[in-house]
Amino acid sequence: METPHFDHLTAQDYEHVYEPAEDSFLLLDALEADLPFLNVLQPRLCVEIGSGSGIIITALSKQLANTSLCLATDINLKACDATRRTARHNEARVDSLRCNLADVLRKRSVDVLLFNPPYVVTSDEELQCQMFAGGSNPSTERNLVYSWAGGKDGRRVTDTLLQQLDDILSPLGVLYLLLLRENKPDEIIKRLEGLNFKAVKFMERRIPGEYLYILKVTRMPS
Amino acid sequence: MKLSTYNFLTSMAIKGVKVGFPLKLTISKKELVETEFNPTFVERLLPKLDWSAVYGAAQVAELAEDIPAVQPESIADNEELLQKLHHLLFEIDVLEGQLECPETGRIFPITDGIPNMLLNEDEV
Repeated sequence: METPHFDHLTAQDYEHVYEPAEDSFLLLDALEADLPFLNVLQPRLCVEIGSGSGIIITALSKQLANTSLCLATDINLKACDATRRTARHNEARVDSLRCNLADVLRKRSVDVLLFNPPYVVTSDEELQCQMFAGGSNPSTERNLVYSWAGGKDGRRVTDTLLQQLDDILSPLGVLYLLLLRENKPDEIIKRLEGLNFKAVKFMERRIPGEYLYILKVTRMPS
Repeated sequence: MKLSTYNFLTSMAIKGVKVGFPLKLTISKKELVETEFNPTFVERLLPKLDWSAVYGAAQVAELAEDIPAVQPESIADNEELLQKLHHLLFEIDVLEGQLECPETGRIFPITDGIPNMLLNEDEV
């Protein structure tokens, strides 16, 4: 899978939008490794939550050769705009939406869901008001805080998403979720089982200072 | 925002809203983006789409004469209609306009091609 060009993004963009890093590339690698599965699935709607620079959903859209509808959401308008520009720059068909998680999409419509959440363990205060529009012109600092501050166990936003997962995924839908060891992936896997989902550690990688996982989540076969 | 995307958008996250679909679309500026026609993909996507919202989008985009108001039983061998659906769903990019919640009247602006559907804390 080709890494999209993102040379159009500048230092000025990265003041507001998360710069692609090891975690982004791990998610790309996981999607590449799971292409045989995705080719059988033939997803019609793919959504990335918190798309930031947009390189992941752009890469997937290119890979699926425009045979799938690809949407990106972010609460940060600058990220929505960066995603739109990245898609254009790479001639990919991706629409960008500003909303919270996937809360504007029709129920059970998403075939492939991607999420590289704000996973860094922080105090919950750093997260406060993150889910809402708040002021009309959020500060630079706050824009970027959205992209990494995860609250207790780095799990606040992820836990909210998992609670909504049944409403988001289509019957054959799949979620690829990036996690940090501090997010307690085994606990998340157990929690997902309780919600009737099967989750496996699909890929893992040690990078300087962090240990990352990609969880692959599907519905429990009935 | 493409009109295929429009078909998936709801305002059901607003407190008290039951269905929130389809949103009332207004287009004030649009751009035509030519993309490769893939009849198989259009046909595969159709079961996922809500036809009334497809037709509603066609009316707003002034393409209603191209799209039947009621979904035809079989579209697979109707290449002409598939081509028209392709144009409607994938080639019209709404740059400026708005989406309106059918139940509360809450307006979501579309600016530079991006619908802003982020709610305020007191709305959820």
